[in-house]
Amino acid sequence: MKNFNLMFKNKAFWNSKSFIFVLLVLSAIPFSFAASVSNNIEKDIKIDYIIPEQRQISGTVTDTDGVPLPGATVRVKGTNIGAITNFDGNFDLTIPEDEDILVVSFIGFVTKEIALNDETVINIVLRADAAALDEIVVIGYGTLSKKRVTGSVSSISPEQIVDMPVASVENAIIGQVAGVQVQQVSGEPGSSPNIKIRGSGSISAGGDPLFVVDGIPISKNLTSVDIQGDLARRGGSFQAPPVNPLATINPNDIVSIEILKDASSTAIYGSRGGNGVVLITTKNGTPSEEGVFNFNSFYSSQKVANKLDLMNSEELIAYTRDARNNPYVQDVPGASADDPIGPGERGNGNYEIPESFLNWDGTDTDWQDLIFRTGSMQSYNLSYASPMQNNTSYYVSGGYFTQEGIVPDSQFDRYTLMLNLDSQLSDKLNLDLRIAPSITENQREPASAPYFARPPGIVYSALVHSPTVKPYNEDGSINQTNNQSHLGAGTTTASNPLAIIPAIDDNLFQFQTRTSLGLSYDITPDLTFKTFGGSYINIYNRDFYRANSLLYRNSTEGESYAQASSSTQNSWLWENTINWTKEQDDHFVDAIVGYSMQKDNVSVKQVQADNFPDDLVTTLSGGQVFAGSSLKEQWSLLSAFFRVNYSYQDKYLFTGTIRSDKSSRFGANNQTGYFPSFSAGWRVNEEDFLSSVDAVSELKLKFSWGQTGNFEIPNYGAIGLLSPLNYNFNGSQVNGLLQSTIRNPELTWEKATQTNFGVELGLFNNRLFLLADYYRTVNSDLLLFVGIPSVSGFETTLQNIGKVENKGFEVALRTRNIVGDFTWETNLNFSANKNEVLALNANNEPIFSRGSAGIRHITRVGDPIGSYFGYVVDGIYQSQEDIANSPEDTEAPDPAPGDFKFLDVNGDGKITPDDRTVTGSYFPDFTWGITNTFTYKNIDFSFLIQGVEGNEILNLTSRHLKNGEANFNSYAVFNERWRSPSEPGNGNIPRADRESGSHGNNNRPSSFQVEDGSFIRLRNVTIGYSLDTQDTFLGETFDRFRVYLTAINLATLTDYLGYNPEVSNNTTSSLTPGEDYGTYPLTTSLTLGFNLNF
Amino acid sequence: MKKLITYLLIGITAISCSGDFTDLAPISSRNEAQFYNTANDFVAAINASYAGLQDNGVYGRAYWTMFEMRSDNTDQGPDATGLAAQYAEINRFTEDPLNQQITSAWISSYKVIANCNVILQRIESVEIDESLKRRIVGEALFLRSLMYYHLAVAYGNIPLVLEPFIPGDELVQVDATTVYDQLITDLETSEENLPISYPASDIGRATKGASATLLSKVLLTKGQNAIAEVVLRRIIDNYGYGMVENYKDIWGVSNENNLESIFEVQFQGGGIGQGSAFTNEFSPSSFLQTGFGFGRNRPTQALINSFDSEDERFGASIGTSYINEQGEETLADFVRKYESDPSTENDSDINFIVFRYADVLLMLAEAIGESNESYQLINDVRERAGLPEIGSSTPGTFNEKILEERQLELAFENHRWADLKRFNSEKEVFEVAEPLVNPAVVRELFFIPQREMDINPNFVQNTN
Repeated sequence: MKNFNLMFKNKAFWNSKSFIFVLLVLSAIPFSFAASVSNNIEKDIKIDYIIPEQRQISGTVTDTDGVPLPGATVRVKGTNIGAITNFDGNFDLTIPEDEDILVVSFIGFVTKEIALNDETVINIVLRADAAALDEIVVIGYGTLSKKRVTGSVSSISPEQIVDMPVASVENAIIGQVAGVQVQQVSGEPGSSPNIKIRGSGSISAGGDPLFVVDGIPISKNLTSVDIQGDLARRGGSFQAPPVNPLATINPNDIVSIEILKDASSTAIYGSRGGNGVVLITTKNGTPSEEGVFNFNSFYSSQKVANKLDLMNSEELIAYTRDARNNPYVQDVPGASADDPIGPGERGNGNYEIPESFLNWDGTDTDWQDLIFRTGSMQSYNLSYASPMQNNTSYYVSGGYFTQEGIVPDSQFDRYTLMLNLDSQLSDKLNLDLRIAPSITENQREPASAPYFARPPGIVYSALVHSPTVKPYNEDGSINQTNNQSHLGAGTTTASNPLAIIPAIDDNLFQFQTRTSLGLSYDITPDLTFKTFGGSYINIYNRDFYRANSLLYRNSTEGESYAQASSSTQNSWLWENTINWTKEQDDHFVDAIVGYSMQKDNVSVKQVQADNFPDDLVTTLSGGQVFAGSSLKEQWSLLSAFFRVNYSYQDKYLFTGTIRSDKSSRFGANNQTGYFPSFSAGWRVNEEDFLSSVDAVSELKLKFSWGQTGNFEIPNYGAIGLLSPLNYNFNGSQVNGLLQSTIRNPELTWEKATQTNFGVELGLFNNRLFLLADYYRTVNSDLLLFVGIPSVSGFETTLQNIGKVENKGFEVALRTRNIVGDFTWETNLNFSANKNEVLALNANNEPIFSRGSAGIRHITRVGDPIGSYFGYVVDGIYQSQEDIANSPEDTEAPDPAPGDFKFLDVNGDGKITPDDRTVTGSYFPDFTWGITNTFTYKNIDFSFLIQGVEGNEILNLTSRHLKNGEANFNSYAVFNERWRSPSEPGNGNIPRADRESGSHGNNNRPSSFQVEDGSFIRLRNVTIGYSLDTQDTFLGETFDRFRVYLTAINLATLTDYLGYNPEVSNNTTSSLTPGEDYGTYPLTTSLTLGFNLNF
Repeated sequence: MKKLITYLLIGITAISCSGDFTDLAPISSRNEAQFYNTANDFVAAINASYAGLQDNGVYGRAYWTMFEMRSDNTDQGPDATGLAAQYAEINRFTEDPLNQQITSAWISSYKVIANCNVILQRIESVEIDESLKRRIVGEALFLRSLMYYHLAVAYGNIPLVLEPFIPGDELVQVDATTVYDQLITDLETSEENLPISYPASDIGRATKGASATLLSKVLLTKGQNAIAEVVLRRIIDNYGYGMVENYKDIWGVSNENNLESIFEVQFQGGGIGQGSAFTNEFSPSSFLQTGFGFGRNRPTQALINSFDSEDERFGASIGTSYINEQGEETLADFVRKYESDPSTENDSDINFIVFRYADVLLMLAEAIGESNESYQLINDVRERAGLPEIGSSTPGTFNEKILEERQLELAFENHRWADLKRFNSEKEVFEVAEPLVNPAVVRELFFIPQREMDINPNFVQNTN
């Protein structure tokens, strides 16, 4: 620990680049290890030959400012003999007498060769290389110096995620990586963000990238089997979004994240690389002489990020009156708006208003205030990185994270343990053992569902509920029967949201372990054989109970229901690789060949019960079990792969990859695929004509081409399956079996062919560093559920058909604007992607998709996948003449002034279903993020602004909150409705009309429900203070202490009416993206945290 | 070194070539390639066709919206947003080709048809017990015909597919008459193949009577009344049906599959996916049964007015008020034929009677035409309802009298829309029956679902 103290006492440390280098050291630990290991071998292994004479040398490695460089590698040229500098930059080395050249290398510095002569103490000064360029980058099945990378890889350094108060690591990179769109679609604790790398190429197969955690592939695509235990009895099939498998990983344990974006990088993952690959690497022991304890902790306070602007009681009553008077006057001869409007006074409930509206008692409930609370997050994490002792080092960590959601009773807890152990068993054999068990518990509340789902959505019920209703009865109990949900006259029929919260017990328990054992054997110093076995085991248990105490809408009795689900996912992997690395003269070759087997087994069980006599026992045994099922599925994958990286003078770079994959998921005639790629790079700055230009510190041109695939389809999609469809004869049960899918022996993976051009430019010693890529991906043979005539008995069949193109460019720019005592650094990223369907089936017939509320999506040639589909609102009829002069609307039985005028898209003089067209898309035109970081002495300050532009949201809450019928509470925008030609409102909102279906039919699927989802968000503001131990009361026992205050989602600028302009209900289908049909809102959080090294 | 690599490459290749590792059969589902071989396979397959009748696209929901609410018998009532909007549109003839009910009716009916087509094709070449094979063929033909009859009545111009359809094959629409001609052939075979009755464990399967009843309906629809008369007399004489003594005893869970019942869709509650929703759908209040009362398929005032005050069928068919929780009488008109108390919402045991004997008697009267015998048949039905006899001197034409008797006797049993079409009176009845329906917009045919129009570019949409 003293070493640390010394370094931190050195004031220059904070003023120099060393700080960053320390972080770089952390990220380089795994690689430095390899070197340190080779050093230790010499000491510990008895070798059966004559030991040549040896001599001792020692020295210090510093940068040009004289700052020691800890973690630098000092090696005797051409051997494995070497050492790693300690935290004072010192090293000791025993070398054979006849060797006299040392190679000294350190990340970010130019490698130097030193002739020893007879010196025994040498001081070596390393010159900074084009700063970050010598970083080691994790690529699939290996690592590579960043300067040699020719593919498109974004590296997330620990400093980008460290101290980020988030549950799951994806949330930490929101807005920070070019070409990677991370969308936080729900504020529910433990929920899963959407990640899209360079758009979305797949139509029906999974769209998430492949995650590889320490070599173990983990898929977030939970599409094929219901392993989290969806509720068998949930009306409208509004299942809660799945919880996030990646939330089981403690972000504190992560040392690096690499995002492989182009096909040349992902082709090594073959049939699973098509959506991009995210490589996550966890920490190892420390190369220093003493172990490092790290303790960090934070506390966050969270509240709902925004409230929706809804009507208050007076506005709602006025609106309801309008909505009742308009049809009454229009349809009933001689009727007047001044006629009595109370219950029963007009002969039709749709013309009347309820008693509580007529004689309003002044109640004005803000339901949103009632259902949200102040939530919190707490995190505690303790880790120890051991030094190398007895050729063994390890990293252990334990973490606890808990989040209380802003909707009462929603909670997420995570307990993690990790042991990563690295041991040099002999001079040739290395063992790498990793065990990472975790437990997560999600206590869920049905927040993300419409008010009519079973159980009803809490948030949605609060939104549609009438403000005229009192939330509580006089005795303090929740108002459920006092006419709360049946005001009459066709107004609000929602359950009291406050009754939903205590009535639902929904606990999802997840036990997850990743374990792996890797053994590598150095056949020669250049040639390594590695065998790697890993497993990923995931056990889910879900217990759901819906209490009798909840009255569904206007029901008078509860509907108790319980479901117990459990499932096990057991995925194992065995890989064998041979790696050959050789650097000689101007040549560098790194080649790997390997094969891999993986098998995934899933088993799912569930039991259901109802008729609970009371709510005292909430497990199944408290009621009557009436149904149960169990299910098993498997998939397997057998692969061989080869890759070579070659560079000449580190100037001309080449990479070639090929992988073959054979998967059980595909049809018998089409099981094996080959996925080739190649890429080339030219580091122009190494050419003579540029080396004299000091301003250009790096200029690399890159080109890559490759083919990858997507195998995320149902496990038995190629087989015609029969499903039970039982019947009864006079009450006695019989088995029925119906074919539910069509066999397709030709079924195979989707192919993605991608071309990428990239440039890396560093200027002024990389004070300004630019990464820019242009890419074009064509996904072909898409796995598509193609609509077929239902005469076949099926609605769809899974086929390989169609083409989708994604093309775009992405730019990442880092500038160090001010250096010195005061530093200012800016990171900017910008990505634009255009998604376009190029071809579908033989006739290019469009695919119409049914989302949560009828057919509102279309996938057709020339537009993005899953575009919104409907009529286009073309204004509002201002008068009868206006109606007469407009094209006849065949879908509007009796339009009147104030109703929507729809667009005659095909120009045939009539509005018909043929006039439905694309009304928007969930794909943004571009996304961007900008981070500014300032440091002054011990203080750092940074803020991240992120933006998304040009995406639209299908706001299905409009069906109730913006329908003009006043049968629910409404968005306040309806206060600006059309009332009369002289009071036309804001010009966008039609008149109120309870019977719009018989008049203007304003609520048909149209552009009115499609809203602009563009936003600019102040995503993150952090201010931190790092204590130098020398100056503080904390004394000598601490090496580093940082305290920080972070605000997340502080402000969002958007025109979107709902909670969250990124929302998407149906995250599992790319054909129906972008729906907002009730959601758990995002939170604004304020976090105080600290980080302690000792 | 090179050797090692060579060995490894050989190893890799060997593993890559071994088929077993990636040849995984489904564990929890049956594979169609190994099915349709045994008698049990075909029994399970035909059972699934019966189960298809419970679907929301068939008797479960879409059929009562399209064959009952479409007619003058019932309407949607004031609740007309969300799903109810779909119903209201059908009731008022304002639906568009995207309407979910007409879409799901098409899809689900053809699902039953397609399964029957597979059974009929695959069973030919399989050696199983001949009498069982005959029965299954008879059942498949009946179920397929039942679906086609409804499709022909609803949509008119439909593809008539009698063998498993292979995607990519051409699909043409034929008119309803062509469909009916096929059904006559199929139902004759079906009636021949099927038994008159079944042992207790098979009650609910199609019988000779069921096929013959559908056959006579098709014949009447085609105007072949003389042949229909022969078939109907065969039912009455040979198949052993009779009238239940009290009209109200036809209904209710405890009276299912009774003497009068010719074919019923069997529903069963208990959370097994076989419950019916009629009780909740038609009830106006949650005070009447477990779960929500949606108050749908509401009797129109005109229908209520048509009942004679003595008519015993009124009370069994229609409720006009209920007692709420506070003990107050609450006015509401609702269908009572499907009352029950499901243990959970939309999960009732109550069956749906597709055909019953009174229908046969009235059809025979219709087939014979105005005569003493036909009045006698009508009066047999009226007598049970506690009503006086009618005859040629009773005001109105014979057709008007028989149509009205069918309306009152068979209300809410999905017969009315087909009856109105058969008697060519669908437009005029709406003048008085449903104030919300403009007779000018009354169309004879439903739209072909937009989904099918989009997939089959050669399809012609119904315009009338």
